[in-house]
Formats: sequence, C-alpha cells, structure tokens
Amino acid sequence: MLLHIARKEFHNNLLSARFLIGFLLCLVLIPFSVLIGIGDYRDQVGQYRIDQAAAEKTMKEVRTWSFLRPILVFPPEPLGIFGKGISGQVGNQVRVRLGEKPVLPEGKAAARDNPFLASFFSVDFVDIAAIVLSLLALLFSYDALSREKEDGTLRQQMANPLPRSTLLAGKLVGILMTLLPILVFCFLLGGLIVLFSGDLAFSAREWGRLALLGAVSLAYLVLFVLIGMFVSARTRSSVSSLVLCLFLWIFLVFVVPNMASYAAESFVPAKSRNNLVGVINDMDKGLRERQMAAEKGLPQADWNMNWWMNGGDDGGEESYGCSASFFEYKRLRAAIWVPMMIDNADQKWASQAAYLDSLGRQARAAVNLAMISPAGIYRAVAGALCGTDWAALVRRLDDVRRYRETFISYLRGKDIWSKFEWFTPTPPSKMITADAIIEKLSGGRFKTRATYDAWADKQADVKSRWDLLRVGKLEGGTPEEFPYLVANDMPGYVEKREGVGVSLEGGAAVRLGLLAVECLFLFALAYVAFIRYDVR
Amino acid sequence: MWKVIAKREILHNFYSLRFLLSLVIVIGVMAAGSLSFGRREAAALSNYREARALAVKGMQEDAQINTSQLAVARRFFDLRPRDNAFMDDAKEKYLPNAIVYSAWNVFGVRSRNDTLMVKYDELTWAFIAALLVSFVALLFTFDAVSGEKESKTLSLALANPVARAAILGGKYVSAVASVTAIMAVGAVVSLLLLIATGAIGISGGVAVEAAAFVGAAALLAAVMAAFGLLCSVMAKSSNVSLLLALCVWLLFAVVIPNSSGFVAKTVYPIEKAEAVQKRVDKAFDDLNKAAPPGSWMSQSNNPFLPQHELRANLQRKRMAAEKAIRDDYYRAMFRQFERTRSLTAISPAASFGYLAEAVVGGGYARLRKAWDDIHIYQGQLSQWFVALDAKDPKSPHWYNPSEDVSTTREKVSFDIVPQFAERPMTAGDRAKAALPYAALMAIMACLVYGGAYARFTRYDVR
Repeated sequence: MLLHIARKEFHNNLLSARFLIGFLLCLVLIPFSVLIGIGDYRDQVGQYRIDQAAAEKTMKEVRTWSFLRPILVFPPEPLGIFGKGISGQVGNQVRVRLGEKPVLPEGKAAARDNPFLASFFSVDFVDIAAIVLSLLALLFSYDALSREKEDGTLRQQMANPLPRSTLLAGKLVGILMTLLPILVFCFLLGGLIVLFSGDLAFSAREWGRLALLGAVSLAYLVLFVLIGMFVSARTRSSVSSLVLCLFLWIFLVFVVPNMASYAAESFVPAKSRNNLVGVINDMDKGLRERQMAAEKGLPQADWNMNWWMNGGDDGGEESYGCSASFFEYKRLRAAIWVPMMIDNADQKWASQAAYLDSLGRQARAAVNLAMISPAGIYRAVAGALCGTDWAALVRRLDDVRRYRETFISYLRGKDIWSKFEWFTPTPPSKMITADAIIEKLSGGRFKTRATYDAWADKQADVKSRWDLLRVGKLEGGTPEEFPYLVANDMPGYVEKREGVGVSLEGGAAVRLGLLAVECLFLFALAYVAFIRYDVR
Repeated sequence: MWKVIAKREILHNFYSLRFLLSLVIVIGVMAAGSLSFGRREAAALSNYREARALAVKGMQEDAQINTSQLAVARRFFDLRPRDNAFMDDAKEKYLPNAIVYSAWNVFGVRSRNDTLMVKYDELTWAFIAALLVSFVALLFTFDAVSGEKESKTLSLALANPVARAAILGGKYVSAVASVTAIMAVGAVVSLLLLIATGAIGISGGVAVEAAAFVGAAALLAAVMAAFGLLCSVMAKSSNVSLLLALCVWLLFAVVIPNSSGFVAKTVYPIEKAEAVQKRVDKAFDDLNKAAPPGSWMSQSNNPFLPQHELRANLQRKRMAAEKAIRDDYYRAMFRQFERTRSLTAISPAASFGYLAEAVVGGGYARLRKAWDDIHIYQGQLSQWFVALDAKDPKSPHWYNPSEDVSTTREKVSFDIVPQFAERPMTAGDRAKAALPYAALMAIMACLVYGGAYARFTRYDVR
C-alpha cells in the first residue's frame, strides 16, 4: 500500500512544473558553483607553486644556520572546491621562527591580489546545495496534505481502510523518490565536472568524503521534506502552507546562519589584537634589554668591524671578514642570545594562545548557534568534511607549532648556536687578527690596526680612509666565496592528511546525530499533526 | 480608479498571512540586530581607540627621537567605526581598514582583522532589505494576476469598466507601499530600540539617513515588485509564477551578488602582485646600478658626509620609482573593483547594496575618499617637515625618505605635528555616489513594469 501511494506521488510530481524547474535550477547553479570553485582552486594551486618555489629558493640560498628558517607553504584543499569554509580568508604559509610561535598563517588569502575584492562574497557548492535542496524539498512537500484536502481526494482516500501513518510514510517516500534523482544529479554533475577538468587529482579520500557529503545532503533533504509536511499538516489551505514554508525557508537558510555569527561576534568577543600587539612589543623590548645587558659581560674584541655583514629578522646574521676575536665575541653572544629568544617566544605564547583561543571560541559559538537551523548543521558538517573549517585550521597550526619544536630540537641537537657556523661560514682556521686584516686590506701599507688608526685620524676626507682599505683583497671577505649551507638532515614538515572519516570525530559526529534526531522528531511531529488533521 | 484598487489591495495585503509574517520576521531580525549593535559598536570603538593610541604613541616616541624619524617612519591610519553601521556595515569588516603612510609617501592599505568565522552578513538594515524586502516584494506580487485568474476574480473585475492599466497599477502601487511600510516600521522599531539602549543619540542626521535608506528600500521594492508582476503575467497558473519568481530572486539576491569575485577575476583581471614586485625589484636594481659609487656607504653619523647626499638622492629615486609602479597597481585595483560593481549592478539587490552604502557614507566609497584625502595630507606633512628642516642650520637638507641621518635631528613637540582627520562623506558626495544606482534601479523598475503591462494587455483572463 505504502509503495502504491509513493508511486502515485512520484508520478504526480514527475510531471509537474516544479520538477522541471527544479531540475533546470540545479542544472544551472551546480555547474556554476563547481566551476567557480575549480577556478579558485586552480588560482590557489598557481599561487602555491609560486610561493613554494620562492620558499625553496629562500631556504636554499642561505650560508649561515641563523638564516635557515623553514617556510611552510600549504597546498590548497581540493575539497575546497565544494565547500570553501574559511579557506578564502586565511593565508597560505607560515615561516617558522625561533623568536615567535606561529599564531595564524601569513601570505595571500585565496590567491587574492586585490585586497578590496575580499569584500565580495561568493557561494560554493555547499551553499548552493543548502539553498536549492531545502527549497525544492519544501516546494514538493508544502501541499502534500493541504492540496489533497482542497481537491477532496484526501477524504476519499481516508474512506478506505488506510492507516494515516502509511499514507504519511507513503507520501514521504514518494517525495523522496522525486527528489533523490535531483540530489544524485547534483552530485554526479559536480563529480563529473571535477573528473573532466583534467588537472584535478581527487584521491579516494576526496571521493569518499564527497560521497559522505552526499549522504549528509540526503539527511538534510529529508529534514526539509518533513518540515514541509509538518507545516502542511498544520495548515488548512495550501496557500498559507506555502507562505509559511517560504518564510521558514528564508529564515532557516539565510537569516539564522548570519544571525548566529552576528550574535557570536557580539557576545563572544575575540580578545583585542591591538592589546596583543602591545604586549608582544613590550616583551620583545624586554628581551632586547636583557640581551644588551648580557652582552656587556662579554670580553671585548680587538676590532668591532664587519667587512661584510647582513642581518635579518629573528636573529638571522651572516658576517664576513671579522677579526678572530670579534668572531669569538659574536659566537659567545649568539650562544647567550638565541636561547633567550626561544625562551621569550615561549613566554609570549601565553598571550598569543589566549588570543587564538578567543578566536576559536567565537568561531565555535557561531557554528553552535547556527545549529538552530538545519542549514547551519549542514554547513558545519560540510566544512568538517571538506577540511576547510576553523577546526582544521587550528589543527594545522598545532601541527606547525609541533614542527617548530622539532626544528628547534634539531638545531639544539647540533648545539649550532654555540658554533661559528651559526653566523659565518668562515672556518676557524681562516680567522685572523685585526692587525692581519689591516695588513691584507691595505696591501701591506699598514702592519697593525694602531698605525692605520693613527693615520686615518689625520685624514679629513672620510672616504679616502676607506679607499686605502680597498687596495688588497681579504680572503673570505664576501659571501660569494662560500657555498650555500647544506642541511640535508633537517626534519621536514609532513602535512597530516586525515582519511575519509577522521574529521567526523567529535563535533561533526554530534551534529550528524543531531540531524538524524531532528528528522525522527519531525516525523513524529508530522505524524501527530496528521492524526489530528481534519481531512474534510 | 486605480486608487480604489490600490486601497483594496493594500487592505487585502494588510490582512494577509504574508504581511504578518514579513512584519514579524523583519521586526524580529531588526530588533536582534539593534539590540546587539550597542555592544559590538562599543567593542569596535575600543579596538579603534587602542589602534589609534598605538599609532599616537609611536608618533610621540619618534617626535622625541627627532623630526626626521617622525617623517620617515611608516604609520597606520585606522578608519574609525561608523556610528550608523547599524543601517549598513558596507562589508567594511572585510575591506582594508587602515592606510599606511609616511611624510614622504602613501604606501598602501592594510587589512587588520583576524577571524576564524566564515564570512557573513551583519544583521543590518541593508542585509534585511536586500534579502527580505526583495523576497517579500516578489511574494506580494507573484500571484497578483495569475492568482486572481485562478480564483476567477480577475475576469469579474474586468467585466466592469476598469482599465487593465488601473488594475495592474493599483496592484503594483499597493505592493510597493505594503513592502515599504514593513521596512519603515522595522526601521522605526530599530531606531527606538537603539535610542532606548543608548547605542545612538537622537539627531537630525540619523533621521535623514534613515529616511533616505527607507527610500532606497522602496526603490528596491519597486524593482522587485515589477519583476513579480512580470512573473505573474508570464504564467497561467500561480504555481508556475511562484517558481519563476523564486528563480528571479535566487538570481538577483543570491547568484549575481555572490559572483562578484568571479566576475572581477575573469572579466577584469589585473596583474599578479608577484609580477608587480618583480618590476619594483628591477627598477631598484637599475637605479642601484646607475647610482654613483659610494651611494650605499653609511659608516658615519656625521650628517654632512658627502655619501649621505648620494644615498638620499638614490633613496628618493627608488621611492619615486616604486611609488609610480605601486600607485599604478592601486589604480588598477580600484578600477577592477569599480567595474565589477558596475557589472553586478544589473542585479537590483546588488545595486541596492551599493546605493545603501552611498546613503550611509561608508564602505568602499569612504575608503576611497580617505585614500585621496590622505594623499593631500601627506603632501602637507612633507611641506611642514621641509619648512621645519629649512630652519635647522645643523641639517644639510638632503631629503632621504628612509633614513633620519641627513635632515634635521632636532626633537619636535608632538602638539605642532599636523594630524590627519578624516572628513566624513558630505551629503553631496553621497548623492553623487548614490545617483547612478538609484537611476539604474528606477529605469529598471519602469522597463520591467512596462514589460509586465504590455504582456498583461494580451493576458487571457479567463
């Protein structure tokens, strides 16, 4: 009997204008969203290649260990084509520093060159599915009961020995039979576009997750069909049922998610970024003061002169052509300074972690509040499946910070900041005294620094003092004389990629369960409403 | 005659379920937005003050080092949160919110917002109007003709000596009036709540802005209602016209506004930032090679060392070369943004967004004005510095935009340093920005209504 009703419902729907228009809507919107997603993904891959090449070049072209800092460029998530989540708003790389733990990624977001374009919004496959599937579900179910009542056919059916539960279930199955082809069509179309795009290599993980997304979409669809049937069973005329359903749709799909984020931002405020900047600046200032104080205790060198020197941020330094005692001075200094810097990073982390936590709390609150609406649940689960939600970013940052510790242990294992290689490739055997440097530079004219200084003090023209030091050549005085550093044993960063199901642990699983529970609850509600429904 | 019809239609609308539901949802969302507004505005203001305090502190510290340091250091000018952001936030959260400048140059813009939340629309009047007003306007009109035909009242009405123009016009006017009334009631409730919670004060400016905003919403309602009538006369049954109306709404309120990024990228592409950087690097390289030897030598604190002049010349040339390239790139970005807007203005909802932004004097238009103004200020600041430097006998007057070595090393009292004050957009500025979009929407409403009327004259009412 149930199948009978379902088949009749299915045939009825199949011939209707809404089926045709629904199909056409999907036929237009789904390729539109997937193609935009693919375009964005390709841009991001292009950006990734550019940034990765630049990072490799930067990391390769160093001559001292103090300049060696891994730059981690993250490849874009392929499933971002379907659900971009927050991937369009965060940068794509992290430079591992000793003086600072990474808080948020740097670099371009979504390969965007024009920062003004960040104010343009965009929709992806998941958004379109959330909008269109719910609309179609409501359009097919809003008059499931009220229309038949108006036509008088409901009364005739009920005159037969037909339980109301069977009728309701039959209608549900019938509507789902109509909508299922549309849903499958949407996912097939999306999948086919990806398949025929050539350069997109989806692995089993991506296909598996896409299939899971399809299953979640089905639950979402069922939920909206049930909402429609419930409304239908509670209203007398199909017109009011329609109006109610449309308002419910716009409220649940468009208003609630924005409202949730708005409320989260208003009532779960993030910690002040300016405040954090102020605290970090003060701590960095404190570090510099401590470093200066520590430097005072070091034995002075015979000549504080760098023939060639390059300083970078985060303690990067390369020096050439210093006197042996100045090299020694720098070595002793780095051995004190670098641990202080790493220690300072650990101390700064407390404030940074609190800031990052407050951002995470806010994002979590927005997601949780949006769960009032099935669309909120659907988007949250989809974001987790596509690996583009905030939780995925937080996990990645945790990994990056762990990698930073590994990198520091690697450096510490070599005890490298107590060695000359930290800031110069000059071997200790080639380090000479200040007097010897003067003799070489002046081509033998001055034998000691004292005689040179005595002469230089008498010269009015500053330039000529230096010109005389360009007569001879100092061996090891320029970077070009040394090869690049070889650090083949440096631990690499391995991007942890989860399998098909791992991200469903925790929050996402709860949300899926919620979706199922809501379905059951709504079916019960619709059933109760229909039992009390006046079919006349 | 059309007045009788309009009056009847308005009454009909007034008692209908859709009117009640629209009113409830509009007032509900507006109230929710207004109640949170005070809190978030306070947070935004405190953030702004902190940023401003940091900037002022930096300036004061530099003034105590020396005037040249004050001139060469890069500073951020943060845009103050707008008091009328409850009407329209104009997506300012996602736009750059600071301009970077020194006395020698305006370098660019910076975005300083960290968030882990998915992009979303704030619960402002503009969001409610773009989403709900457009939707409700369609909902009030989609069955105006096809629905009456189904219930056979249309043939009855036309049996009387009533012009078709009067029927359609009456329905049109009543729908627009009903939707505008909903928005106006919502706006009044929202204003009352905002005043009651102390989020805003009572002022004439807000009243004028609010009135202009409701006017803009009425324009949106007029366009969408015209589309609704068109959907209605295109179909024989109200079911089909509903589907058509929903498709129109999805296209205008969802698809087109959300494809701006795609349009910008594909229709108006710009050069990659990396390519621009390469050109800058090349210009630097060329200048370095062409510079006289000794230009980079800086081994002395003696301001009159001749090498300082060479280096100052080189740094000025480098800055000018970089500025030419980067300003060009900024112009390309502005162009890309503006053209994309012009193209997406084909959607009334998007057009309304740009119109609302002009009404409240915020968003991109405001940023653009601040950008132009800060260029003027930068010119004044550099003139001020040059005048001060000219008075210092201990300065060689070799202007170097990156170092404080060869210009005045005197300290300066922070009080006499010219400060930049943002000039809010005047009524004239706003009207100028609003006019194209308002005109476009008015023309669109006329054309679509004309189309609906033409179709209606040939509509089989039986």
